[in-house]
Amino acid sequence: MEPVIEGLSLILLNPFNIMLIFGSVLIGVTVGALPGLSSPMAIALLLPFTITLDPVPAIGMMAALYCGGTFGGSITAILINAPGAPPAVATALDGYPMAKRGEAGRALGIATFSSVTGGIFSLIVFIVAAPALADVALKFRPPEYFALAVFALSMLASISGKSSLRNLIAGAFGVLLGTVGIHLTTGVERFTFGYPELTEGIAFVPVLIGLFAMGELLNQSQTLTEHYDRIRAHVTKLPGRDDLRLIWKTVLRSSGLGTFIGILPAEGSTVAAIMGYNEAKRWSKNKEQFGTGCPEGIAGPEAANNAATGGAMVPTLALGIPGSASTALILVALVMHGFRPGPFLVQQTPEFIYAIFGAMLLANIMFLGIGLAGAKLFSQVTLIPRTILWPAVVVFSMIGAYASASDILDVWIMLIAGIVGFIMKRHGFGLAPLVMGLILGSLVEESFSQSMIMYDNNFLGLFESPIVVGFFVLTFFSLFGPFMGPIVKRAFSRPDPGTEGS
Amino acid sequence: MSESPREREGLLHTTDVVVAAVIFAICGTLYYVTTTFDKVSNLLAQNIPPEFFPQLIIYTIVIFTLGVPFEHLLHKRRGDNIDSERSERIKRMPYVTAGLIIALVVGIPYLGMLLTMFGVCVLLPLLWGERRLKLIIPFAILFPLAVAYLFNKILLVYFEPGIFGIAL
Repeated sequence: MEPVIEGLSLILLNPFNIMLIFGSVLIGVTVGALPGLSSPMAIALLLPFTITLDPVPAIGMMAALYCGGTFGGSITAILINAPGAPPAVATALDGYPMAKRGEAGRALGIATFSSVTGGIFSLIVFIVAAPALADVALKFRPPEYFALAVFALSMLASISGKSSLRNLIAGAFGVLLGTVGIHLTTGVERFTFGYPELTEGIAFVPVLIGLFAMGELLNQSQTLTEHYDRIRAHVTKLPGRDDLRLIWKTVLRSSGLGTFIGILPAEGSTVAAIMGYNEAKRWSKNKEQFGTGCPEGIAGPEAANNAATGGAMVPTLALGIPGSASTALILVALVMHGFRPGPFLVQQTPEFIYAIFGAMLLANIMFLGIGLAGAKLFSQVTLIPRTILWPAVVVFSMIGAYASASDILDVWIMLIAGIVGFIMKRHGFGLAPLVMGLILGSLVEESFSQSMIMYDNNFLGLFESPIVVGFFVLTFFSLFGPFMGPIVKRAFSRPDPGTEGS
Repeated sequence: MSESPREREGLLHTTDVVVAAVIFAICGTLYYVTTTFDKVSNLLAQNIPPEFFPQLIIYTIVIFTLGVPFEHLLHKRRGDNIDSERSERIKRMPYVTAGLIIALVVGIPYLGMLLTMFGVCVLLPLLWGERRLKLIIPFAILFPLAVAYLFNKILLVYFEPGIFGIAL
């Protein structure tokens, strides 16, 4: 009980930390509400600011921004039919039609209530599951870690985006990028091209800022003249008894589903939201009302995408395997602050985990207030001229990349990453898989090398461990499952007697 | 009625053949670079030389990339359009924007960080068609100053003063 009290008091009894978290939630909701700006981008830009802070407020700020950013997208999804963030895509399907028929306040209320419920539900799971998972992970040796990392990389295939194949290629390039620098075993320089700055590896911050901020800027520069029609929301109301009766099952189901999807390595809020919407529709008695402003169509994706935030923190903290692009950035921040995410972090500094839990809980409560009182205000952020907003992002990107090492080379790395990100996105290669690969790269190589040394370079030795076999089986299904589904379906479906022999 | 080039795509997707060729070229170059890594004895490398893992990843990328030119067939069967993000040509603005930012970054050692930020805040809005000087001027003065104050004075980040020696 002592770590719980200590951890929570680090956040809840410190006015400075509360203020920072409130600021982060405000930034998160604003960024989430602005189409084009995303949570990963905001977290990447926030990273340099947090270097000088203590780890608890630094990581707490990012976790709070993550929660706020996921929720913020729903405001513009409902009021202007332009999801501010990808996880809010499904919310627009029913949120905007409801707002259009004059019930914007009701739609925002349902979204806020479902988001907060989903968020808090997942936090409870997070605080129970992270230590339990860490206990299991303590038994992991390098072969198990290698198999787990390979499984996480294979999950990149199904991360949001169109093409599994391109996501895997992007992930593999990320892993390759992770090999830049000195090889730990031999001390040989790899891919440094004579730059001494690269001997310690590619700096994460410039790459992340470049991919998420600069790449998006180039993309947005093509659509500067776009404008949105806004629907006025006078008062945001929490759902009444009738709405609650209608949505409570959906909210609970989506909260569970979103948490589970969040826990899966590499899956994020967007996948959770889409599945939350689909499941809400599948279980609903009012299927035909979906797409016309159905309350369950708002509650399902909103509960699921916010539940994924807490879920995604479980593998990030307990295993060191990020659950989404945003948690990958939080992982980078943890490393920058001298932590090694994984079971030892949970075992040795449990108060730190409870502090993050406290920060996220506080963030959820804060955006309940923001959602109810400030949704109208936050919808106005889209009035900020994009010709002013994006130059501000460029300035933050340049300074953010430069600040970590006061080196111009990092600004160049950021720019190159931005241009590469722009081209990759255009051709369907996911940015999140690249980031995941970059972050997991060193873990994969290190654990692979150690495993090979353990088994005297016999790759088959890996299969002695049932956990490794289990992860490899999961990897197989994650890679080939989408192709196997139709084949299995065809094999087991009975031929139609009417068409047999025709 | 004639078919559009996209509709005429056969077994191979033309754009994706180019994409795959670029990836192969990158992989080829990187593979060559791995062969130039310093050689170490097997005893020191414990039978896992420094080039082994990068080469393994390059092989993996090459194998995955072999599928890229054919992927459109799978998407077509699913009813997806693999070209939805790239159906329109890239407009002129991203090139010009990237060019301007690159020029400004080249200028950092000469202009210094503060003047470069000022340049970004003036030139980018003008490039993007913003003509309200009442908006641009206060933004271009106040925003860089605020950012410089935050990073330079509070977070103690060293800012390049440039040849004009302009800094906070």
